[in-house]
Amino acid sequence: MKRPFVEQPAIVALLIAAQSACAAFFLWDVTADGLVHSATGQLDLHFGIEAAATAALIGGILFEIRILTRLLRRKAHLEQQASLAARAFHDLVEARFDEWRLTRAEKDVAHFTIKGLSIGEIAGLRGSAGGTVKSQLNAIYRKAEVGNRGEFLSLLIEDLVERRPGPIA
Amino acid sequence: MPARTHKVWDPLVRVFHWSLVAGFTANAFLTEDDSPLHELVGYAVAGLIALRILWGLVGTRYARFSSFPPSPSGAMEQLSDIANGRKRVHLGHTPLGALMIYNLLLTILAIGATGYMMTTDAFWGLGWVEDLHETLVLWAEFSIVAHVGAVIWESRRTGVNLPRAMVSGVKTVPEEIKIEA
Repeated sequence: MKRPFVEQPAIVALLIAAQSACAAFFLWDVTADGLVHSATGQLDLHFGIEAAATAALIGGILFEIRILTRLLRRKAHLEQQASLAARAFHDLVEARFDEWRLTRAEKDVAHFTIKGLSIGEIAGLRGSAGGTVKSQLNAIYRKAEVGNRGEFLSLLIEDLVERRPGPIA
Repeated sequence: MPARTHKVWDPLVRVFHWSLVAGFTANAFLTEDDSPLHELVGYAVAGLIALRILWGLVGTRYARFSSFPPSPSGAMEQLSDIANGRKRVHLGHTPLGALMIYNLLLTILAIGATGYMMTTDAFWGLGWVEDLHETLVLWAEFSIVAHVGAVIWESRRTGVNLPRAMVSGVKTVPEEIKIEA
């Protein structure tokens, strides 16, 4: 999910950096002007406008820092929620596997299957033969009382949808 | 609260850092702009930077550029830590600190280059060279103010006394704080 351009924290951070550099320059400039003018006793309108503009710029930067803080907090919050949801799904899946009395090896293969790996890939990861994985998959499908990978997956997803979990801690 | 200590900055890094501070301060505020001393200090500072760049390629673990590559994603991660109040300590340079290091190395190198140009026949007396030299110095001064401010901020935030680490070479990390490799 792509966020709108203006809500990307990196863009806001870059903007803050660029504006801070500008603000530092203007602040230095206006302070130097102020020192010269106050020495000669003539603080004119031009100086007043410059000072006000610099103050406004700094105010804007402070405001942007608050926005950036909020964006980063929200992002961290969403990531945490997503990881909690992933953990909840994992727990749910584990519970089902226990229910079906899958062996340790079958559980491994089942997890890889959920992640979308092919039989060949699973065999490679587990260092076993393709035939072994195939027979393990058959055992998994038999214990879960399904016919194929599609049914196996929809069985697990159904659990998620039907369980209607309360708010995740 | 017990704390863990980690040796991170080798002597060359520390001597470089404080020599650079001395050299920059001398030329920015103390020496006459057109004096031989200003030029001499300028060459010394350029030599320091060259040495540091070399050390960044062949030096000790935390001195190497490969231990603090410029990383926008790392910088955002660190900003996120700050925004969320997560305390995580980087043993070497932090990602934001790394960006400042590259900024300062390049800026000061460019100050040296424009300063040298003013001494050559080809560029002597050219207005834009002098303007560029002075603008870069101003930029370096802003950067140093930001650098010092950030060091104080990060020291308070993470509880690791960073200025002391740049003197002793040792970072003292409070027990409860998570260390990022």
